Amino acid sequence: MADISADGPRPAPRAPTIDQVRAGLQARNRKQTRLKAYGLLAIGFAFSMLALVLLSLVVTGWRAFTQTHVTLDVLVDPAVIDPAELPRGNFDELLEASLLAYFPNATERAERRAITGILSDGAQFILRDRVAGDPGLVGQTVRLRVPVADTYDQLAKGLIARDTPEENRRLDDEEVARFDVLEEAGLVTQPLNWGLLVNTDSRFPELAGLRGALVGTFWVLLICFVVAVPVGVAAAIYLEEFAPRNRFTDLVEVNINNLAAVPSVVFGLLALAVFIGWFGMPRSAPIVGGLALALITLPTIIIATRAALKAVPSSIRDAALGLGASRQQAVFHHTLPLAMPGIMTGTIIGLANALGETAPLLLIGMNAFITSAAASPFESATTLPTQIFIWADSPERGFVSRTSAAILVLLVFLVAMNGLAIWLRRRFERRW
Amino acid sequence: MNDMRLFERSTAMDDVKIAARKVNVHYGAAHALRDVDVDIGDRTVTAFIGPSGCGKSTFLRCLNRMNDTIAGARVSGEIRIDGDDIYDARVDPVQLRAKVGMVFQKPNPFPKSIYDNVSYGPRIHGLARNKADMDAIVEKSLRRAALWEEAKDRLHQPGTGLSGGQQQRLCIARAVATEPEVLLMDEPCSALDPIATAQVEELIDELRRAFSVVIVTHSMQQAARVSQRTAFFHLGHLVEYGETGQIFTNPKDPRTESYISGRIG
Repeated sequence: MADISADGPRPAPRAPTIDQVRAGLQARNRKQTRLKAYGLLAIGFAFSMLALVLLSLVVTGWRAFTQTHVTLDVLVDPAVIDPAELPRGNFDELLEASLLAYFPNATERAERRAITGILSDGAQFILRDRVAGDPGLVGQTVRLRVPVADTYDQLAKGLIARDTPEENRRLDDEEVARFDVLEEAGLVTQPLNWGLLVNTDSRFPELAGLRGALVGTFWVLLICFVVAVPVGVAAAIYLEEFAPRNRFTDLVEVNINNLAAVPSVVFGLLALAVFIGWFGMPRSAPIVGGLALALITLPTIIIATRAALKAVPSSIRDAALGLGASRQQAVFHHTLPLAMPGIMTGTIIGLANALGETAPLLLIGMNAFITSAAASPFESATTLPTQIFIWADSPERGFVSRTSAAILVLLVFLVAMNGLAIWLRRRFERRW
Repeated sequence: MNDMRLFERSTAMDDVKIAARKVNVHYGAAHALRDVDVDIGDRTVTAFIGPSGCGKSTFLRCLNRMNDTIAGARVSGEIRIDGDDIYDARVDPVQLRAKVGMVFQKPNPFPKSIYDNVSYGPRIHGLARNKADMDAIVEKSLRRAALWEEAKDRLHQPGTGLSGGQQQRLCIARAVATEPEVLLMDEPCSALDPIATAQVEELIDELRRAFSVVIVTHSMQQAARVSQRTAFFHLGHLVEYGETGQIFTNPKDPRTESYISGRIG
């Protein structure tokens, strides 16, 4: 007793632990509930934003998946079309003739021109290609379904409202009335717009499609894959399995991580200066775009591959080395195959990023107006994102919905690639 | 005492497989092994015992140069197997490891079939001329590892599907498939249950007929059961090395005595 009082005042008796815990328990649980609520809120916010984006894209874009067409019976008049000189024939005149049959009162030149203006300017080429494909059609009547011009397409889809006062409307009453004549004659249809996928780009929205962009994207991603994957995987294998740990490899490692954070536009400038400027590669060509994207994807692939190699337990490496395998054999027989699912996943995610990359491609001129699909990676081409950029920049109303539609197509590809990555991971990933 | 030591030396010198002199190992700044001198006999089981971190595994890994794979590890001194210095610049570790097999602490079969596991070593070294040859090697190795009866009907199923004890015997089969002359075992039973341990120990005794076996173990009972000679490591020093019976019944160094009686370690 004396000893205790010598140590100073006795501490106040503490409540039993269980009581103290109980006192604070409610506050602790409330904190946890709050944290969970914040998390749910954050996820809800992210998802609603995503839903909003998709909704707005679908709302504006869905109309581009149909296209208003007019079906006409066209007499391929031998008096107008010389079978010997088909490409130079005046197919416009044939279309005009068959269309005017529905407007017997139109005699004035201006009015006749306005009537033929209902059809797309590209309609004559559709007729020409049809006849060129089968010269036997000369002298016969051909049933042809041609797209209407953009403004009439908008009218048919209700995007140009008929109750708008005439002075504010893009089509005056007469033009609307003429279109109604065709509609009443049962010539107007609105089939699925396959042209969006199979046509190349065009000045006329009703004819513009994504084929050039899809082909261009294919070439760009192919080049990117062929360059970035071997280089990236080789670099990662060297750094992870062979490189000594020293100042130099530390520097390399830090800089690979830095490269992953460099804005892609910088790589575009680099590609412009080096590939086009010094090496004289063609402008707007997928080869240059692919190389630029390869530079952008490289750090992603290196980092993903190193992580995948690191995830293979060293006991496997030791087992192989202990049996007398050389380092190279240990890597190629054991480590690399086991890391493959991770490498593939990283590669696909890298390529999916590259698929959406726009800025570097703009810098090397892949936003040129190109009306043919590139037959090789050395021809000028556009890609999906740059095509979206071009269309978003175009004044014609028809490109508004086509821009959204093109974005939806791009998103479908992105989701498909990420889905593949997830599937590969699920299917082949091994837990240790 | 002196007589006994002379007797030991004479038996040890009869048939020395591995001779280590003044072996030092540094991991970066840490001095893991200090001036280890040891002679390991052929066709004997030699056990390394000692508390954790005493350097016994480090020394074991020197014998097939597995320390080469650890960044920052430096080995000095001289280790001769059959009189050849294994740290000579002309020695390729690949060649050495074909001669000195290793079994690790945790069973580490390749995630491949049992057959592929066993045939991997012979395949990379080109030891089989054809499929029949390889089949024979696989069967012989699995028999030596006392796994044949259990594995013969599932040779092409993954080795990772076996039980822990079976996996470790598979690893032993894989190691003996290349016909090494020395077999290093780094705590081969620490991840196994008592029954699997007993099987592996029985196996080690069998393997002694063909190989020089060096085993690191935490279990003094195991060392006493399977080995003919025992080395006691402490704090990087080889404290005492001698016949197993002598080490356990009549240790010369007080540290050895403390350890085997459970006072240190």
